[in-house]
Amino acid sequence: MDGPDRAQERLQARAPEMELIREAQGGSRAAFDALVRQYEQQVLRLALHLTGSEHDAEDIYQEAFLKAFRYIGNFRFECSFYTWIYRIVTNLCLDQLRRRKTRREDQAVLVDHSGDEIDLLASVSDNRSFSNPDRELDRKVLGERIQAALGKLTPRERMVFELKHYQGLRLRTIGEMLNTTEETAKNTLFRATKKLRTQLAGLR
Amino acid sequence: MRLEGRYTMNCEVAHERIVLAAYGELSDEQIHELDRHLTTCNECREEREQLQALKTLSSAYPVVEANANLVARSRMRLEDALDAIPPKRWYERWGDGVLNNFARLQAAPAAATLLLVAGMGAGSLGGYEYAQAREAHVAGRAPQTIAPMAAPIPADPTDVANISSIVQQPNSEKIEVRYNAVVPREIQGSLDDPSIRQLLMMASEDGTSPGIRDDSVGLLAAECRAGHSCNAAGIRDALMVALRYDRNAGVREKALKGLEPYVAQDVRVRDAVLEALLNDSDPHIRSEAITLLEPVEADMTVRQVLSTVATSDQNPQIRNVSRQVLRRVPEFQ
Repeated sequence: MDGPDRAQERLQARAPEMELIREAQGGSRAAFDALVRQYEQQVLRLALHLTGSEHDAEDIYQEAFLKAFRYIGNFRFECSFYTWIYRIVTNLCLDQLRRRKTRREDQAVLVDHSGDEIDLLASVSDNRSFSNPDRELDRKVLGERIQAALGKLTPRERMVFELKHYQGLRLRTIGEMLNTTEETAKNTLFRATKKLRTQLAGLR
Repeated sequence: MRLEGRYTMNCEVAHERIVLAAYGELSDEQIHELDRHLTTCNECREEREQLQALKTLSSAYPVVEANANLVARSRMRLEDALDAIPPKRWYERWGDGVLNNFARLQAAPAAATLLLVAGMGAGSLGGYEYAQAREAHVAGRAPQTIAPMAAPIPADPTDVANISSIVQQPNSEKIEVRYNAVVPREIQGSLDDPSIRQLLMMASEDGTSPGIRDDSVGLLAAECRAGHSCNAAGIRDALMVALRYDRNAGVREKALKGLEPYVAQDVRVRDAVLEALLNDSDPHIRSEAITLLEPVEADMTVRQVLSTVATSDQNPQIRNVSRQVLRRVPEFQ
């Protein structure tokens, strides 16, 4: 069990942010702006990668920080501010993902010059496509195919995969942010990876 | 005879573990267990390769940092939106503060009880004695012995504003609790003093005592009628809030009188008075409101409200007066 010293240390490290938050709760716009600057890069990074669009990312940024501004009075320090902000952002992103229809008709399956389907996963396993720039499998095209495959996941699966694979968060944190358990986040991750592999291996 | 454990991993579990391992979510022991399974199972080894391939493939759509333009654009747009939001009224912030404190106070009586209960093992004043002894030690003087009879229980929950720390002494039943007490204070000053004004405004919303609200609203209203700076620090707002929400008619009436000089120049005040005319339960106040609206009798909105009141007010005198006012002023074209 942590002694009171360790707890004190952690408190010191978080103290400046806590002060900022308290000031912002008291109405200080300057303090709120400072908080925005601390988190805006991460928020944009996440929103950009999830939506694939600068315009959408900007919208999410706007809504997220306006929400944070409106509700910062409710923040009671039971979780970290980071988790709190991310919870807001992920919820907005989930809404965004749900609103989108399957816009793209692209398949995650590529066809080579002879009309045969290419098993992307197999090629990657062979390491051929990445090392040889002459191949038809151009990195940009690959990127689009990945996006398409990601687009076929349910919003929650997409979100969990994003937070785990691309943002590197722990499953326990992901559970907190999505207001669910670590166990549920785990199972969602399993479903997501399974689906993605099915998509990219050329099966339907 | 196989000496490997009673537990051999089945492939379904292994598949899940493979995913977790790929994302750093397994303990060292679990990793070791998984590796053991993979040495003997071809299918699962292939499964792992597939997952690695997926991870590699996914990196073809990398996470990128937002470029400086996007950040700047987003920030500017946010700042504009925030600028457009009116700053929280003092009473809204005060309300938030009260709610936050209330949430903390709800926990405090529980914590105070904890002190009493936890100390019981060593005698209910054990904790208190320990704290005293420590304080004395720190101050370099000999600890006073306190006869258990004479010492009061230090923490009466109603005196406790909040608890700032609870520390359990290792290997003992004693718990040290630091708390802040509610301290009644007094301040004297004139109405020009901003602290006095602030307190008056807070008092105008003091739910417990109509007498206090009456005094404070009366003072604030007098300020406004005298033409002293009534714009500053939301005094006008405080009066409007009192007019709209106070349960005591005397207080509402004082607030109404305080707003009189501003009916003509401030449309919010005019609307607040119109609302009082339509909704106030006290006929005396409604009739006062009509008098106050004299300078703006010709306003379309005012006339509309007067028409409504002329037909639907419960009080016949008020209906009468409204009709008279409407007849007096030709319709504004």
